[in-house]
Amino acid sequence: MKSVRCLVTGAAFAAIAAGWSGAAVAQETVTVWFTKGFYKGEDDALLAVVDKFQKATGVKVDLSLYATEDCVTKSVGAVEAGTPPDVGFCTTYDFRTTGKWAFDGKLEDVTDVITPIKAEFQPQALATTFLMNGKTKAKSYYAFPVEQQMMHITYWKDMLEEAGFKESDIPKGWDGYWDFWCDKVQGAMRAKGKRIYAVGHPMGIAASDTFYSFLTFANEFNAQIVDEDGKVVLDQPKNKAAMIEAVKAYANIFQRGCTPPSSVNWLDPDNNVAFHNRTTVMTHNATISIAGKHMDDMSNPALTEEQRATAKKNYEDNIRTAEFPTKPDGSKMTNLAAVKTAVIFADAKNKKRAKEFMAFLLKDENLQPFVDGSTGRWVPTTLKGIESPFWTSGKDPHRAVVYKQYKDGTIPFQFVYNYNFTTLNAENVWAKAVNRVVQDKIAPEVAVDEMIARIKQIAG
Amino acid sequence: MTATTMAAPALPASKSSDAVSGHTRDRALWGAIMLAPYVLVFAVMVVYPVGYGLWLGLNWNSYRALFADPIFIRTVINTIVFLFVAVNLKFAIALVLSGFFVAQRAWVRFVLVLFILPWAVPSIPTILSFRVMLNPENGMINQQLFHWFGIVEGPGWLTDPTLAFCMSIMVHIWKSLPFWTLILVTGRLAIAQDLYEAASVDGASKWQQFKFITWPSLATLYVTSTMLSMIWTLGDFNSVYLLTGGGPGDLNHVLSTLGIRYMRNNNLDLGIASIIIAMPLILPMVYFMVKRLSKGAE
Repeated sequence: MKSVRCLVTGAAFAAIAAGWSGAAVAQETVTVWFTKGFYKGEDDALLAVVDKFQKATGVKVDLSLYATEDCVTKSVGAVEAGTPPDVGFCTTYDFRTTGKWAFDGKLEDVTDVITPIKAEFQPQALATTFLMNGKTKAKSYYAFPVEQQMMHITYWKDMLEEAGFKESDIPKGWDGYWDFWCDKVQGAMRAKGKRIYAVGHPMGIAASDTFYSFLTFANEFNAQIVDEDGKVVLDQPKNKAAMIEAVKAYANIFQRGCTPPSSVNWLDPDNNVAFHNRTTVMTHNATISIAGKHMDDMSNPALTEEQRATAKKNYEDNIRTAEFPTKPDGSKMTNLAAVKTAVIFADAKNKKRAKEFMAFLLKDENLQPFVDGSTGRWVPTTLKGIESPFWTSGKDPHRAVVYKQYKDGTIPFQFVYNYNFTTLNAENVWAKAVNRVVQDKIAPEVAVDEMIARIKQIAG
Repeated sequence: MTATTMAAPALPASKSSDAVSGHTRDRALWGAIMLAPYVLVFAVMVVYPVGYGLWLGLNWNSYRALFADPIFIRTVINTIVFLFVAVNLKFAIALVLSGFFVAQRAWVRFVLVLFILPWAVPSIPTILSFRVMLNPENGMINQQLFHWFGIVEGPGWLTDPTLAFCMSIMVHIWKSLPFWTLILVTGRLAIAQDLYEAASVDGASKWQQFKFITWPSLATLYVTSTMLSMIWTLGDFNSVYLLTGGGPGDLNHVLSTLGIRYMRNNNLDLGIASIIIAMPLILPMVYFMVKRLSKGAE
């Protein structure tokens, strides 16, 4: 009798367990891969969106957060294997994969999600997601513009003063600007017996900072590389001449000993490190992450009170974010913006829910806390987001400059028009040309000819 | 009339021949069973990965793209120079040092223990420590040059392409020299001391002793070790990648680091192709080495 009771009880438990597991199996899931935030605020905001979405729809969000490099590597592997997540957002997709995936037909057309909210986005940011599909031979929306970054100048105000200069002494014109840092500031520091370099000038082949900085220089010299149809126009005499000037100018900072010699081997964090170590007085950097580090330290409980106070002083007084000087022709520079894109994969299992999730995330009340969670490292792509007090109040000295740069206007990278430029950026044809000039001592004209030949070989 | 063929009645097998064939079958079966794990492991660990790699490398467009890449030819030249200089220099030094370490004195044995350390410790921290030490701004060497002699811009150990390439070779030699020295020390110790004593009695100089006793005895070991070292040097990724990353300006890549550079750029096909392209260099070396070893076995 006892054994019969056991059997019945066991059967009952088994039935309940089966019911539960059945219910679990039945729950719909959307798989989402994101780059892990630089700051806790980003991840918290994302988790809040996920939570809200799950409650609103009953759909489970299977969220995975990956380090920047892992995120794109895993995504590429998954796409190749035909097992991608439903939604992917890695902050280097735009530089490396989005355009190619769109061209190869690996992405879902998201026009139906974008169309109703199109007016809410900055047109120049939205334009970067309107991509060519090589299979359909037509352009369409294949990505979502989540956030963006721009290039900024960052300098130590206190080191500038130590060299005997005021901020108002910094020239606004192109040549005078670099002469000021290289000759006057560095010269003054060296006269004091300090082995300090004026500029942290990324030259490393493996650094995305290098091509971002170099292309900003090319932009300063009006070197147009492709047209809006993706056709390479760099070989046109005007553009080629401008590119030669850009290579000369970029190489010149190294040649005059104005940047640490090790900058030829720098990876992405190295200009930040040199700046934090006060080896350099200024640097150019995509995003305001250098200042942001000190802001983060201001409230870091792992640091001592004294260290937090120093970080506060650095963020508020000692470190300055600034715009690039005017172009050599005297006109104002338009900033090169990299729009960070989220995508839905063509092979995704749950595209319907993936679109719902992205539509939900892109709602202003969800997107804005996520973007602002990066404390200024990423800039909003929505019109409302960039006009929020977070950016416009002027209370934060660094964000105020970013806002001003945004207002000056932005232009996209070449890979938006011709996805092959992701390969050229990865290969860093720009840094190679500069390194040929400074290391192999060849003429900039020859280096640019080589560069054009390589660009034509890869991008047509 | 139908012709009928009568099969010759089979001769009854003798008991002993049955036992022999049964025994042979058993031996063959047991042999196969004992061999199976090795065959399985060999298939899984060697045949499949190598075969899969070769299969991935069958895209001819990758080779066209590889040869079109301006960095490739430079990389091939770098690889050959690296191989030639590093292997020969390493063995020349190892040969000389083995003459020193073969001395049976306590303090020499102590120095030998210290000397082996670079080979014994892991590559990553040691090579990275070289990288830090050779940093042109903050590295120990240039800091000292600045501190003691006021030299603001010391040598570009890792930023000048030629110097950086030399440093990669130096680190490679530093790392692998103890091992090969030890091999040659072992070779020297195997030479009968009577030969030296007899030569000494005959009035042979040290050089003559080396020329007529040491070198002929060591030659086979030296050449075989050199070949093995060439294969390992060709695949040495750490010395170049950890020290310079193939830089500055991608000018110092060797084949083993170029593959990783392509793969980092999500270009798997070119990565595979750049590694498979080294096969014509490796296979003859493997062939000659196996041939030499077979000769030795005979």
